[in-house]
Amino acid sequence: MRRSLYPVVWKELRDMARDIKTLVAISLLPLLMMPLMGITSIYVQTLQQGVAVVINEDPGTLTIGNATFSTNDLANSIVAALKSKGFRVLNHSVKSYDIMVIIPKGFRTNLSSLTRVALIRIVKSVGSAKSNEGENAVQSVLGSFARKVAEAKVRYLGILAGRQVSPDSVLNPIVYTTVLVGPSGTTVSVEESFRVMLGRILAFSLVFVTTPSIAYITDSVVGEKERKTFEALLATPVPRWSLVIGKTLSASVIGLITGLADAVGLLLFFALPSMTYGVNLFSLLTPGLMIAHVSAVYLSVLASLALILPIVIRSGSYRVAQAFSLAIISVASVVFFISLYADINALTAPLRYALYVIPYSHAVGMIKQSVLGEVNQAAIHALVIIAEIGVLLALAVKLFSEEKIIYSKT
Amino acid sequence: MSSNGYAIRLEGVVKTFGKKVQALKGISFTVPKGVIYGILGPNGAGKTTTLRIIATLVRHDRGVVEVLGHRLPEERAEVRERISYLPEDAGLYHRLTGWENLLYFAMIYADDIESAKEMAARGAELARLPEKDLHRKASEYSKGMSRRVALARALMVGADLVLLDEPTSGLDVFSAYTIRKTIKEFAKRSGTTVLMSSHNMLEVEELCDRVILINKGTIVAEGEPKELKRRANASNLEEAFIKLVGEFN
Repeated sequence: MRRSLYPVVWKELRDMARDIKTLVAISLLPLLMMPLMGITSIYVQTLQQGVAVVINEDPGTLTIGNATFSTNDLANSIVAALKSKGFRVLNHSVKSYDIMVIIPKGFRTNLSSLTRVALIRIVKSVGSAKSNEGENAVQSVLGSFARKVAEAKVRYLGILAGRQVSPDSVLNPIVYTTVLVGPSGTTVSVEESFRVMLGRILAFSLVFVTTPSIAYITDSVVGEKERKTFEALLATPVPRWSLVIGKTLSASVIGLITGLADAVGLLLFFALPSMTYGVNLFSLLTPGLMIAHVSAVYLSVLASLALILPIVIRSGSYRVAQAFSLAIISVASVVFFISLYADINALTAPLRYALYVIPYSHAVGMIKQSVLGEVNQAAIHALVIIAEIGVLLALAVKLFSEEKIIYSKT
Repeated sequence: MSSNGYAIRLEGVVKTFGKKVQALKGISFTVPKGVIYGILGPNGAGKTTTLRIIATLVRHDRGVVEVLGHRLPEERAEVRERISYLPEDAGLYHRLTGWENLLYFAMIYADDIESAKEMAARGAELARLPEKDLHRKASEYSKGMSRRVALARALMVGADLVLLDEPTSGLDVFSAYTIRKTIKEFAKRSGTTVLMSSHNMLEVEELCDRVILINKGTIVAEGEPKELKRRANASNLEEAFIKLVGEFN
């Protein structure tokens, strides 16, 4: 039993298990926050009522060849689209509105002409969160209407020219297709592209798991000094490596709990778009991907602990530990943000190598490669991060100084 | 390495913190085996620094430190196997029960869990806590109860040398009495060498076979309490201390 990890891990886990408030807080926060983020990002927007004004200054019909169009129908379609987005739609000008659409006088004349273009004025209120949503709805209606008018004009020109004309060959002379391929070059489905997006989001979600474990290990070392339990412990034969590894492994349990809660919270977050957009994102969460995610969470937590521990052990100070914790969390956040928008592998060499020195980059790599089915690449990333953690923990053991711990100011 | 009948030997030990604070200015003393040895001195005299050096927690700058025949700092690991240390105001793990606090330290010293439990049971006896209190969280303990468990933690492990830094500091009369009684009975029964620091002269006079008087990092006098009293022509150790330190100053 002596010279083993057991006593330290036994004590740390027992201590942790009795700290129910902290455990509940770190488990519930991600579970509540992620779905809350989903609700606010999707449903709150729809609950927000905007005001739109649609004014038709040129009511009536126009004819192009055999086709007849009505500006009243166009205005009604715009009104319907805006109402579907939660707008209250008025047909007269008011002082305050989010978006105003005006079909001006002369619109029909210009639209029926073969030499002029017709103008529709869209006025948006600056600072309005709803105006962009309204503009998108209006543009969708106008795009559909413009296409029908263009087709009618093409047919009419064909009649004038006495030629058989296909509107598609005039309006869309080039048709292109897009095929998605995976890393092996084989075609993948559109759903697979969602999986890649999911990988990016999973990688980004790692940003939430580093903080609680860093706070815990800081308290585990500095708090033990402050509560005057460390000095007696340091005079015992307990090996320094077992203190470092034991405290790290125990604190990593906190990280693991956070990570699992985070993953469940993420599933709840995804449940909302799944219901809203009809894409079954749950089908993309394969057991392999979940294992990779949980492993990446755990290794990210261990990496955070291994990064902070040499500093905490050397300084024995809450203030210094907090300053460095902030630095580590910032670095982690930068890496996880980069993972959301870019592939580290595709970055230019100096930046790529610099990022790969940071353990978090390999946690990101684990998830992204797992998403693409590249198990070997994911395993290499896992091995690199494990090696980096090993080096940092060895450094913590090497830097362990009883004197520094005892005499440092908390 | 032979210890030649002594548990501790310090020879010209110097310890400086930073560039200015010289905590120990070349102190030398020898602690025979099987005695209760007291380090007596006012606050800031260098008592805790001396104990921390012997407890392997602080490295001295110059001089020789031998503990149970092992040279420090080179043989720290060997020394840690054979000593136990109760720092001043030592705390307990407040989320663990008294029993778990004892068991944790027992597991560090014992070879297996059964031996650890036996050791912790020995600690429970030394702590003199009722069974129900032993299984309460340490956060619910009074200062006196906490100190009894902390002392028991240091005494139960079967160390050859026990280091106690101000074991009764800040305690009420009854708690201090219980602690002194425990130390006295333990030392008498086990024959273990005890080195304790204190600024309580009466406590040292009652407990210690020999004492050193230390002031400003220098040893003022060394000997049996009654011998020091005689040397200073004093009726008690407190008076002797004031006279000897006063003379020294």
